[in-house]
Amino acid sequence: MLKLQDLTKAYRTDEVETVALNNVNIEIETGEFVAIMGPSGCGKSTLLNIIGMLDTPSSGHYFFKDEDVAGYSESQLGVIRKQHIGFIFQSFNLIDELTVAENIELALLYHDIPAAERKERVAAVMDKVGIAHRAKHMPSQLSGGQQQRVAVARAVVGNQSMILADEPTGNLDTAHGQEVMEMLQKLNEEGTTIVMVTHSPSHADYARRTINLLDGHVVTESMRSKI
Amino acid sequence: MMLFKNYFISAWRNIYNHKLFSMINILGLAIGLTSCMLIALFVRDEISYDNFWANSKNIYRMHQTFLPSGRPPMEFSASAGPIVHALKKDFPQIIHASREARKKSTFIQNGRYFDEQVTLADPDFINIFDFSIIAGDLDNTINDPNGLIINHTLANKYFPNGNALGQTMTINADVFERDFKIGAIIEDMPNNSQLNTVAIIKIVEEEWKSQEWMFDSWYSVNTHLYFSLNPGSDIDEINKQMPAFIDRNFEDSGSDDPVSSFVILNSQNVKELHLSGPSIGEYQKMGSMTTVLTFSAVAILILIIASINFMNLSTARASSRAREVSLRKVMGASRKNLITQFIGESVLITLIALFTSIVMVEMALPIYNEIIGKELSFEYASFDTIIMLLLAFGVGILGGIYPALVLSGFRPAEILKTNQSTDNNVSLKLRSALVIFQFAVSITLFVSTAVVYGQMIYAKNKDLGFNKENLLIIKNLYRDAAVEKRQLLVDEYKRLPNVISVTWSNDAPGVPTENNTSLRTPDMPENKNLLIGNRTVGYDFFETYDIKMLSGRTYDINKNDQRAEAEEIRAGKGFVSSLIINETAVNRFGFKNPEDAIGKILYRPIGNNGENLIREYQIIGVAPNVYLDTLKKEIRPEMFELMTKYAQFISVRFTGSPTAIVEETRAIWEREIPSIPFEYNHTIDQLDQQYQTEQGEMTMFAAFSGLAILIACLGLYGLASFTAERRTKEIGVRKVLGARVIDIIKLLVWQFTKPVIIANLIAWPVAYYTMSIWLEGFAYRIESILILGFCILSGIAALLIAWITVAGNSMRVAMANPIKALRYE
Ligand SMILES: Nc1ncnc2c1ncn2[C@@H]1O[C@H](COP(=O)(O)OP(=O)(O)OP(=O)(O)O)[C@@H](O)[C@H]1O
Ligand SMILES: [Mg+2]
Repeated sequence: MLKLQDLTKAYRTDEVETVALNNVNIEIETGEFVAIMGPSGCGKSTLLNIIGMLDTPSSGHYFFKDEDVAGYSESQLGVIRKQHIGFIFQSFNLIDELTVAENIELALLYHDIPAAERKERVAAVMDKVGIAHRAKHMPSQLSGGQQQRVAVARAVVGNQSMILADEPTGNLDTAHGQEVMEMLQKLNEEGTTIVMVTHSPSHADYARRTINLLDGHVVTESMRSKI
Repeated sequence: MMLFKNYFISAWRNIYNHKLFSMINILGLAIGLTSCMLIALFVRDEISYDNFWANSKNIYRMHQTFLPSGRPPMEFSASAGPIVHALKKDFPQIIHASREARKKSTFIQNGRYFDEQVTLADPDFINIFDFSIIAGDLDNTINDPNGLIINHTLANKYFPNGNALGQTMTINADVFERDFKIGAIIEDMPNNSQLNTVAIIKIVEEEWKSQEWMFDSWYSVNTHLYFSLNPGSDIDEINKQMPAFIDRNFEDSGSDDPVSSFVILNSQNVKELHLSGPSIGEYQKMGSMTTVLTFSAVAILILIIASINFMNLSTARASSRAREVSLRKVMGASRKNLITQFIGESVLITLIALFTSIVMVEMALPIYNEIIGKELSFEYASFDTIIMLLLAFGVGILGGIYPALVLSGFRPAEILKTNQSTDNNVSLKLRSALVIFQFAVSITLFVSTAVVYGQMIYAKNKDLGFNKENLLIIKNLYRDAAVEKRQLLVDEYKRLPNVISVTWSNDAPGVPTENNTSLRTPDMPENKNLLIGNRTVGYDFFETYDIKMLSGRTYDINKNDQRAEAEEIRAGKGFVSSLIINETAVNRFGFKNPEDAIGKILYRPIGNNGENLIREYQIIGVAPNVYLDTLKKEIRPEMFELMTKYAQFISVRFTGSPTAIVEETRAIWEREIPSIPFEYNHTIDQLDQQYQTEQGEMTMFAAFSGLAILIACLGLYGLASFTAERRTKEIGVRKVLGARVIDIIKLLVWQFTKPVIIANLIAWPVAYYTMSIWLEGFAYRIESILILGFCILSGIAALLIAWITVAGNSMRVAMANPIKALRYE
């Protein structure tokens, strides 16, 4: 699905250079479930943003479906992104002024999909994540777990083949965290590639492979043996 | 005190830390207050006219109205001369009554001639109006036929050594030239008076026998009549008794109907004259109630628009201040503390705006005064300052109270827990309603300005029936010394190389007169005349003015076109006089067309005091309707009578340089008539002067409309930037989900397009309705369908302005990298 080659990302602010990612080489196959772990500030979010094409690397190559997108412009990246990648954030990032259904529909709004089909797909995905009965509610009226489920629904409603999740359970209690993980696992079983940043080893266990980062380097990659 | 200081410091920090917000608020308010203050100064001056007389409450002026059949009533600011004598006899409650006539005259000092306007008055004049005396004795002077009262400026002008009192001054006022002794010096009158008096002499009626109509005719109105009432007496009582008074006192008119059926006398308080007195016959520039009311409304609207900015920006910012408020509450601040704090903040902002606006007012006043032709000033040690302070505090408290209530009403638990946007739906809707209101007002003002301008341009470009270019008007021809030289002047002028044609007349374009006379056809009953406008012209008038006759011919010096004078008719030596009438008169007399009118006979009753003398005319030509007067009035049926004896103006049609012709004609004038100043005007300038007041007011109106829009846009800009800030997260999410920059810009711009469109829908009918009514005040006006065009244009302009205002912000937000927005959630 994607391959990172000698990827480096450096931030330059006020003469100080922070190297967030240093010579990272990672390959992720289609249909994989990958967890990224590491201490705070080691570059996990940076990596995820680059994979998600929200940010561009300072050097190196990024092959997405065999296409080197490292030098692509923002608008070129935007086209690929909205086609293939869904996002889930720690703080849900739902829009407060929109209802649950509208929040999910937002992901289809920029895809030239007719209104009727949008409604159908939104209804279907809400069923799938179990929040259909909350369709008309505002995000502020939902619990954290429910909000994150809406976010998951929004990430997959466009039939994205890959979901990037940055600490999706970070703001949730254990039970709700569990729920979201199970949902991600189900999506993975249906064929969606998932890349997830997490601090929780137990949640990392849902993944087939864990990448450990330290100071912008990949230190270990461990495969989960049991299938 | 501690608490107060804390409030102050915190208010100051808040203002300082949110520079954009504060700048917009202060600038908007300052512009609003400045506009308001400038308008207030104008309005105060307009409504203060003749308020300063000690007895102004009891001083009235009598106006005479004629009701001619088939014509609209003609109300004059003047009234018949003999009324004054009857008035004091019939009404004991009238203590003093005096006529006033202002006459152009020549002051002669050591063989030098100066033009001055002298006031002719009865002795009671000084009892009605309490002139401030500097030196001398008013009472003795006004009762002395040779006494002269002058004001401070004149005294200094003629006697710079300060010894004016007791000096002699020769005055030529046409019917007389004699010496006067300066018996009293008065202070200059303030500008806000319809009674601009610089020099006063007593009316000596015997002197005016040759111009009897001045003071001794019941049906010719040439003098203003002022009187003062016994305090406590009711003017309505007097007005009610006027019909009886008229029938009792007026001279027989020869009509079967009582005089009161076609003459009305009505008195108005001196304070009302400037804004709502009759304009015909008024010596001085008047004001208009409509203007005063319109500008007052504009001032209030501008202030409301500025206050709305205040409210909107404060509530919009509320969400970002939620945390501060919550923390203060947790620390023990009561709701009252918080309200005080927020109102304190807005009062501080308004105070800063106030000082800014005082600077602005001072800077704007010179230009403003020039535009409106006044000498207004801001008086610090007076009521002005208090009004301004009250205004500022009012706006500060008004603008601050709603945001204060909203902000102080936050429940800290919710905010601190969820850190949610606290912008509830109600305040969102209110804010958008207020923006709609602001733009509706701005667009209405926009449209109104456009219509006013359109009408002005229309009036200026309307075909007046004559050629107004290259036409020089020379004045002062009625003055004694000029009369005998008139023919000589005309002949000399004709010889100038750049002169095409020269004529004289009693009327000139843009010099308002209301001269009417009665005419009838032989078929009409004897006492049922048609009142038609009376213009008298010399030979070559129509040629000089480039007026193309509709039928017949113009006056010809080689034919016997001269009119039969009263003495000739009286002596049985009358003959048929020639007459030219206009198209409207053709219709009124019922002639089929201009051709049909040629050769027809008209009768005009002349002679005085019931003498049954008739002058017979035969129509020799029909002129088109020629608009010599203002376009506000419907064109009258008019006659252009040939007059060789008497004229006010010489008109010169010339080619080449307008300044050269002035110098050439001046040289001849000064050689021939050195005792009378050469006064002239180019017709185009004279016509422009007609619209000077309106033009000034129009400029003022346009400027204030522009400012209203500017303030509204400032608010919109602020609102747009706060909204963009508030929506950064949402915009980040949308971008992550695939929205392009253009999608985001569209989203944000549309948010501010909707209120502007709704504002248009509200403004259009309002503007259309009010401006249609305004246009009805003009006899000749642009089509009201044009208003619709102006509506559409203004709407588009408002939209463009709104877009430009919000586009910059939207662009910035739309281009921002979404991870920045989502990162620090
Ligand atoms: N926009 C930026 N400008 C400068 N430095 C940045 C920027 N974004 C990230 N960094 C730096 O890059 C490094 C990696 O940051 P990153 O957000 O990827 O860490 P992380 O592993 O996601 O941490 P956490 O677990 O706390 O989320 C950090 O040192 C951070 O300070
Ligand atoms: Mg992170």
